[in-house]
Amino acid sequence: MDCEKVRDRFSSLWEKELTISEEKSVREHLSSCPECQREFERFEKTMRWLGSMEEAEVPEGFLPELLKKMEERGRAPLGKKTRGKWYRFPLSFKLPVQAVAMVAIVFLVLYLTKMMPVEFYRSKDTRQTAPPLSMERKPEQILTQIEMEKDQRILKTTPEKHRPKDVDLAQAPVLKEEKLEGTYAPPAKSEAKKEVAPPPQAEMTAYPQMESKETAGARAPSPGAGKIEKGLVAKEKSFMGSKLPKEITLKISDREKVIPQLLELIKQFGGEMIAAEGNMFLASLPTTSFSEFEKGLSGLSASTQADKVVVKKPVAESLRAAPSLKREGADEKGRAPTKLEADQENRTFIRILLVPE
Amino acid sequence: MKTSPGIQKKVIESCKNGDEKAFAEVVFHYQKRVFNIAYRMLGNLEEAKDLAQEVFISVFESIKDLREEIKFDAWLTAITLNHCRNRWKYLKRRQYFNSDSLDDPVETEEGTMPRAVVDPSDNPESLYEKKMIQQFIQKGLLQLKEDQRELLILRDLQGFSYEEIGETLGLPEGTIKSKLHRARMDLKEVLERSAH
Repeated sequence: MDCEKVRDRFSSLWEKELTISEEKSVREHLSSCPECQREFERFEKTMRWLGSMEEAEVPEGFLPELLKKMEERGRAPLGKKTRGKWYRFPLSFKLPVQAVAMVAIVFLVLYLTKMMPVEFYRSKDTRQTAPPLSMERKPEQILTQIEMEKDQRILKTTPEKHRPKDVDLAQAPVLKEEKLEGTYAPPAKSEAKKEVAPPPQAEMTAYPQMESKETAGARAPSPGAGKIEKGLVAKEKSFMGSKLPKEITLKISDREKVIPQLLELIKQFGGEMIAAEGNMFLASLPTTSFSEFEKGLSGLSASTQADKVVVKKPVAESLRAAPSLKREGADEKGRAPTKLEADQENRTFIRILLVPE
Repeated sequence: MKTSPGIQKKVIESCKNGDEKAFAEVVFHYQKRVFNIAYRMLGNLEEAKDLAQEVFISVFESIKDLREEIKFDAWLTAITLNHCRNRWKYLKRRQYFNSDSLDDPVETEEGTMPRAVVDPSDNPESLYEKKMIQQFIQKGLLQLKEDQRELLILRDLQGFSYEEIGETLGLPEGTIKSKLHRARMDLKEVLERSAH
């Protein structure tokens, strides 16, 4: 038996698994081969050391710590623990239960929100079709914007150029007037559309700038003008009834100097100042002295734009409104016109806008 | 044989039914074996404790799938070795054993102590304290291949029979014997190299 074969049998020799004859052969070789003898001695020592390895003691609190760890992960071994029990239920039981639970949750959520699916969609549709409350204000806002754009446009035009008093031009403002007076109440949405829709051809030709958003944006009114306009609109409404003011824009260099002169001028022609907010004034004058007053105004400013008179009454609206007015007139046939109405007939309302040069 | 006698079949059955007492009994019965296999496989007491606990959690989770209660011991040992292999890979990836050599200070249950050079030709009992030798062997084991270490631990430290090892590892007895012999000779070489 050679050295390699003997060394291959070290384990078997150590465990006494060799047959008697095999063991005899191996031991004979070991006694005759010092190298193999030395190897076997080292092997024996290694095995003795391995055999002498003591078992380490399990750290204290091993089991409680283990149980705690399991509980933290929801895998407590306790039969009483529901989580452990649920974990062991078969899927054939768990899946239907989970499905029912999900449906229940959906209905609970719907119930809690007090919104059944059909009602939800219905209300959604309603929300889409019904005009929101904010829409009620929209036409007024749009009109205010349009008016401000007009003012800006007036500022841009030359003073010599007089715009024809085209009744069509007043279409949008009339809507505003009616809205303010609360007599005109079409569906808010359609009204809004009407307000923002492109104006009739006549107006388009007269105000080409109005159709261009870019130009409108470029001529944005100064901040605060909108507020002033709104305030005046309310006052106009209270003082003038359905009568619309004429608009005059004055380009001025010294505001403090011009305002007393303006007040003086109004007084001089038998007029009165109704309201003043910032650079915007509302005055009334006898209709007969308006042309004289206009000339006097040109004295205040070299670049008076007296041609910016806007009659806020569209032809269509006036035509449409005419029969009803007639009817109203027929209803009140016997009633004599009041003093106020007579005064209003004889007076012209002027809105004056002071613009620094 | 150092292996503890197998636990009663009815305890395993109770454990399958989620009985806490039965599970505690199983843990109490096998904790030392599982912990020691883990400790010799990893060479670290803390890791061994954590791993042993993970083993028992796995046992609890999957014991319902155990068909033959009589093979519980082999099944438990296989789970333990699987956990050890995974943990070994995990620790190796994190270079946990990189600085580990036979010259490093050894870790004992009482703390760490400097390592002395061992000459297997000398009488160990006269040169070294028993604990130091055990740590020396432990470090030697860690130098071996994983499957060699498993065989040495199961057979020479835990005293498993070849049949038990065969059941656990799914290997025939002849293969186990030859592999085990190779592992012993390699351990001898490792210890000799570290001594000189």
